Amino acid sequence: MMGKIILDKMAMQRALTRITYEIVEKNKGVEDLVLIGIKTRGIFLANRIADRLQQLENVTIPVGELDITNYRDDIEHDSMSIDVKMSNNKIDFSIEGKRVILVDDVLYTGRTVRAALSAVMDLGRPKSINLAVLVDRGHRELPIRADFVGKNIPSSQKEKIKVYVSEIDDKDAVELIK
Amino acid sequence: MTQRYLILADGSAYPGKAFGSLATTTGELVANSTMNGYQEIISNQIYHNQIIVFTQSSIGNTGLDQNAYESVLPSAKGVIVREYENLATDHFKRISLDRYLKQHRIPGIYDVDTREIRHRLQKYGNMMASIVDVADDHAFDQLHATVLTNQQVAQVATPKPYPNPDEGDNVVVVDFGLKSGILRELSRRNCNVTVVPWNSTSEMILDLDPDGIVLSTGPGAPSNLPESVLKMITEIQSQAPLFAIGLGHELFALANQAKVSKLRVEHHGANHPIREIITNEIFFSGQEQGYAVDPKSIDHAKLFITHVDLVNGTVQGLRHRDFPAFSVQFSPDGAPGPKDSVDLFDDFMEIMERRRDENGSRY
Repeated sequence: MMGKIILDKMAMQRALTRITYEIVEKNKGVEDLVLIGIKTRGIFLANRIADRLQQLENVTIPVGELDITNYRDDIEHDSMSIDVKMSNNKIDFSIEGKRVILVDDVLYTGRTVRAALSAVMDLGRPKSINLAVLVDRGHRELPIRADFVGKNIPSSQKEKIKVYVSEIDDKDAVELIK
Repeated sequence: MTQRYLILADGSAYPGKAFGSLATTTGELVANSTMNGYQEIISNQIYHNQIIVFTQSSIGNTGLDQNAYESVLPSAKGVIVREYENLATDHFKRISLDRYLKQHRIPGIYDVDTREIRHRLQKYGNMMASIVDVADDHAFDQLHATVLTNQQVAQVATPKPYPNPDEGDNVVVVDFGLKSGILRELSRRNCNVTVVPWNSTSEMILDLDPDGIVLSTGPGAPSNLPESVLKMITEIQSQAPLFAIGLGHELFALANQAKVSKLRVEHHGANHPIREIITNEIFFSGQEQGYAVDPKSIDHAKLFITHVDLVNGTVQGLRHRDFPAFSVQFSPDGAPGPKDSVDLFDDFMEIMERRRDENGSRY
């Protein structure tokens, strides 16, 4: 198992900074903007983008946490039990009419994002949903694309992409593991 | 050693010993406090019509390096140093500072208290100066009567387009008197560069089908350039990713209705911390600036302030809110000075890459 660093700490910071500017550019400002991070690492990345928006525009953008475990199409579950579905989410604001930016670390098959879209739509009717990812590694199985991408990493399906964030890992990095 | 004088517009005269050319020259006096990199400083076209005072005490002690020139034909008007060393340490021990200055008809004076001059500039503001053989009334009359050109960019920028071919992104560099460091950083990233004259129209630039456009550094006041340059910038900034540096940054600000004013004392050094606002990170960079964007004049509906100088509060970076167009006052290529911010060129590359992915033109 050989790990090759594709993005180091500086490159990761730069990517998040650029994504932040692009979010403001594309949304013509930060009005009605909310960030929703997808489970573990997407949440930290969403918080970092929120910190940057705070620095840049002096506004506090709400950040929600989404656990899509129960929406995944590769896990059997009772799809009627809505309470269970919501149990691990921390979204204490209304998304009705908001511009939602979904944030995740890696975009791969698109199934996680598909699940996240279902979960968000269950919470209300946002004005729009955009997707920001740190890494897009290709191999989509669904018609899903990211609006904001830190780095395109064309990869083989045999390879693994590992994202480290200093909040819970010992470093900031993106590694390609062969 | 021949005795010569640096005379200042305020009537003061500094005797010293000559090196380099024995020409008599007049220019604006600026002090540079960078510790190293006299070669890059002297050959930077930003010093067109300026006499450079080095506060670093010993200059010339590392010779000149074939790969470190910032222009082919330097146009500074003089070099004032405390202690001068005539060493040549390049591969063939050929070029010393003395020889280089003689080649380019730039006079030098050493044995001058350059830090005292720096204090004088701080106290009285920017002023003109001459390097002369005799510090008499006639020399001062000549100094007071001299009017320096306001067409500095036209004097140092290329009059015709030229290519710097490679196989990567297609970048057009608009030359306002660029320093080679900009081309070096683009070459390191395999950019296929075309350098075009400062007075190119937006049509000429966009006809080259650029992936990105760079507005270069250069000498003098941005207000000396005609309105047509600002029109060109407003027309290209929405069409391709734009990265503007130094004079280019000042012009980018003017094109977006901000105001630029002359600093009371020009700032040349690598000693001011710069804060990147979005990350709250602090870094250092080479700075050579005579002008600064007025922060109060910035329309926040149009531009973000991205970087500020923590010593004097000047705007050090801007970014357009609607387009991937950004600018910095300082020199991200270092040369000389820290390379802390050289990754701005990587930002530029990534913005171009994203643009291409979105347009799907190469994938």
